[in-house]
Amino acid sequence: MDQLLPGDIVEAGRLFPEALAACADLDALLRLKGAYVGREGSHAAHMMDLLKAAPKDQKRDLGAAINAFKQQWEEALKIRQAELESAKKARSAQAANWDPSLPPPRPAEGALHPLNRLMDRLVEVFRPLGFHVEEGPEVETEAHNFDGLNIPEDHPAKASSDTFYLAAHPELLLRTHTSPVQVRTLLRIAPELATRGGVRFLAPGRVYRKDEIDPTHSPMFHQVEGMLVGHGIGMQHLKGTLEYALRALFGPHTEIRLRPSYFPFVEPGCEVDVSCPLCDAKGCRVCKGSGWVEILGAGLIHPNVLSYAGIDPNEWSGWAFGMGVERMAMMLSQTPDLRLFFENDQRFLRAMGGLD
Amino acid sequence: MWIERKVLAQELPAVAGLDTRHVCELLAALGFPVDGVVSREGTEALDVDITANRGDAMSHRGIARELATKLAQPMAPLAPAEPVEGTPIVDVRLEVMACPVYSTAVLELGSGSTPLEVQSFLLALEASPKRLPAVDASNELLHRYGHPTHAFDADRIEGAVSVRWARAGEALVTLDGIERTLTSLDMVIADEQGPIALAGVMGGERTKVTEGTRRVLLESAYFDAKTVRAAARRHSLHTDASHRFGRGADPAMARIARNQLVERLTQWCGARLVGAWTAGSLPVPAAPTFLKTTLLTRVAGEILSLAEAAEILERLGCAVAMEAHGLRVQAPTWRHDLVIAEDLAEEVLRLRGYERIPSVLPPMEGPPQTLSATYLQRQKLSRRLAHLGFHQTVTYGFISPEADGAFSAPDNPPEGRTLSNPLGLEYSVMRGSLLPSLQTTAEQNLRQGAREVRLFELGPAYTSSPSGPREVPSLALVWGGTLGGQDYLTPARAVREADLTGIAHDLGLTRAPEVRSLGEGLFGLELPLADLPLAGDRIIPTFRPFSRFPVVERDLSLLVDLGQTYEALAAAMRVALPADTLQDLRCVDVFRHRSLPEGRQAWLLRMRFQADRTLVGDEVDGWIAAALGAAESLGAKLRA
Repeated sequence: MDQLLPGDIVEAGRLFPEALAACADLDALLRLKGAYVGREGSHAAHMMDLLKAAPKDQKRDLGAAINAFKQQWEEALKIRQAELESAKKARSAQAANWDPSLPPPRPAEGALHPLNRLMDRLVEVFRPLGFHVEEGPEVETEAHNFDGLNIPEDHPAKASSDTFYLAAHPELLLRTHTSPVQVRTLLRIAPELATRGGVRFLAPGRVYRKDEIDPTHSPMFHQVEGMLVGHGIGMQHLKGTLEYALRALFGPHTEIRLRPSYFPFVEPGCEVDVSCPLCDAKGCRVCKGSGWVEILGAGLIHPNVLSYAGIDPNEWSGWAFGMGVERMAMMLSQTPDLRLFFENDQRFLRAMGGLD
Repeated sequence: MWIERKVLAQELPAVAGLDTRHVCELLAALGFPVDGVVSREGTEALDVDITANRGDAMSHRGIARELATKLAQPMAPLAPAEPVEGTPIVDVRLEVMACPVYSTAVLELGSGSTPLEVQSFLLALEASPKRLPAVDASNELLHRYGHPTHAFDADRIEGAVSVRWARAGEALVTLDGIERTLTSLDMVIADEQGPIALAGVMGGERTKVTEGTRRVLLESAYFDAKTVRAAARRHSLHTDASHRFGRGADPAMARIARNQLVERLTQWCGARLVGAWTAGSLPVPAAPTFLKTTLLTRVAGEILSLAEAAEILERLGCAVAMEAHGLRVQAPTWRHDLVIAEDLAEEVLRLRGYERIPSVLPPMEGPPQTLSATYLQRQKLSRRLAHLGFHQTVTYGFISPEADGAFSAPDNPPEGRTLSNPLGLEYSVMRGSLLPSLQTTAEQNLRQGAREVRLFELGPAYTSSPSGPREVPSLALVWGGTLGGQDYLTPARAVREADLTGIAHDLGLTRAPEVRSLGEGLFGLELPLADLPLAGDRIIPTFRPFSRFPVVERDLSLLVDLGQTYEALAAAMRVALPADTLQDLRCVDVFRHRSLPEGRQAWLLRMRFQADRTLVGDEVDGWIAAALGAAESLGAKLRA
């Protein structure tokens, strides 16, 4: 039958399957479709012209041959078109679906300073016991920083080698501890102490001592002071409060230990140790194998401190404690160098301070 | 202070049987933590921490006494055979109250040297033996008994000896070879030629004992603590003697230590006693202290038996009289720190052991106080800022005058905020602004490779005033670097001034903030906290109704002059718009390009309308026309 058709058509028919397979997309397929079965200029159109021009007796056979070709081509094109269309659909469905494992936009990540976070935590721990926060200035008078705290007039801490003084105001200094907040608060509330039913507060803040900057010293650091004044307050109340607070801070199995010590503004005075929170008191580098870590200094308020503020030490009594925030932060985090806390590298702040 | 174990055991034999760790634990429980133990000279030396109030513990005998009290064990006897005192060989005159008693002796030295065990005792304490028996014996006594003594070369003393105030300007070359100019507040030992020792601090070069010394005059006195402390500080001369006299020595030891010294010199180098005598007398002891039962019970947190308390105090060396409501207690001569009843209560608790104190929460006596509004304001600000991506910093309150000058207000001179004794110039001025420190910190972070830096600090800025620096609680912010560009949805762009303005408004600032450019792409802002809202007094504000009808949104694209301020244009447009329906008017895009007429820029203004009814297109068209008219009156044109 093929001998009825010219050689170029036969050749086109032979090449068709290969050309069809080579169509990677619908555009290519449409071009192929145009070339083979399009209305004009296609192989099919060319065959129809041949048919028209063919002698009458050949028309029947030639027509059958042409139809066979056309049908074969059209069917194959249709199948291929469906294939390509469904592939396209699948691709556009994929394009609409974004890979969820791509890094998403993230909200900015800031942080509180670790020292502030630690101080905030202490305030949180003491709030349920009715403690509020008192604050005072960092530039203080000698009277508030020393005299009101029963610190003798010739105490070495007053020397200009230990304490920063203001050039134009020799009576003013940078407070060396948060204890002047005790003096200020007691002086302020002394007249209303009875109606208030005593007082209990924390005083977190920055303090200054004339230390050169090195891995364990800084001329500025932070303290948290705690004070309670009431009736019949004794060492048992200091111990009870600190036991509660340090357990709230370090965990319910924490033990505390009071050791006698001396600070001019308390009597009796003590240092307070906690069972090492890093090794569960088994002994580690931080607690130097002892299982205990020194955490703060405390004691019962010296009667002279109460008297200075105009409070009768025969009626009122209380306790006070002071702790170094950096020291505790370094211990808990095992940060090797104090200067990191004042360098404020964002990576350090995010890792150590973060945000809760 | 170093405590050597063998000598400790000589003073308290019971210690010999205890292991070192146990001794350290006992000392810590008594208030004398041991910082370390080293092996030296074939023995162990304990580095014992002694608090400033316990001058009496600054010796082997002092530490032994503490342990003896705790262990209820007897001490080794102290007093050697007393030499018979006779008439003075040299006239010793006590002219000041600060030296009430002065025991002395004159000895002719023989031959012989410091015993080896004494030399190694001194070496174990890191005190170097001089191999001059008179000097080493005095030194050994100081460490063993805590009482400083001195030996003068008797043949170099001219005439009578007096203890007196120095005359201002008088000079003394001390044993360290330094000439000291004395003041009238310095107590000195003097002969007829002038001062020969700074009392309680250091002897003088002129009368020092040398290898050629044949006769010595011993000094074992009691000097007032405050006077010695002041002299040591005045001359920056802190010695083993000044530490002990300065914290309060035992006046009763004056005679005993002199006797000990005589005994040692007699034994060590065959010295012959020429004469011993004492000038003055022991100071009158302070009146006894009454420890009320109620006070003891209050401090201890439980009822203690008075008999137990009395027994503890007696073991400490107190004379105790039991009375109906408490104890009348006379402290021993070596305990200057037992002054008030609380001191005695502490001793009872200390010797019983602090571990026996009960643990009780203090009862509430009144209502708790709320946290102050300013404290809460700072808490909220810091959390909000951290959530907005800012990092809280803590920097020093003092900076260099240069950095301060670049940021402080002109009416805030640094002189009133300058330290007299800073660590250095760069830490000398209490900062008038927090920005210099934040700028430095930001630059450091960027240098360290941060793409973006967002920092804030809450703290006081200082303002000079006649009464001293005033603290202005402040907030400072810096923001710089590149925003975005870290994921496939957020394009990268440089941080702009407007970013900080937005933060300021987010924090509740109602006025326009003064954002400062701190260099290439870095911006800073400082605000007094008083300019930001405090935590509200009302828990929930009053209800204000809002419309539930549809919103109509219209945009106007305007060509405006490059010099036009948005604030003025928006204000003019607002006047032309109905206040009750206009929900929002804002510029949502700014376009600047050379395709626009010269000197002009394009702003896209967006208006949102909403009312308690459905808005009709015609009326909104009218408003837009009015708003355009208002804009045109300022020179704006509708962009084609």
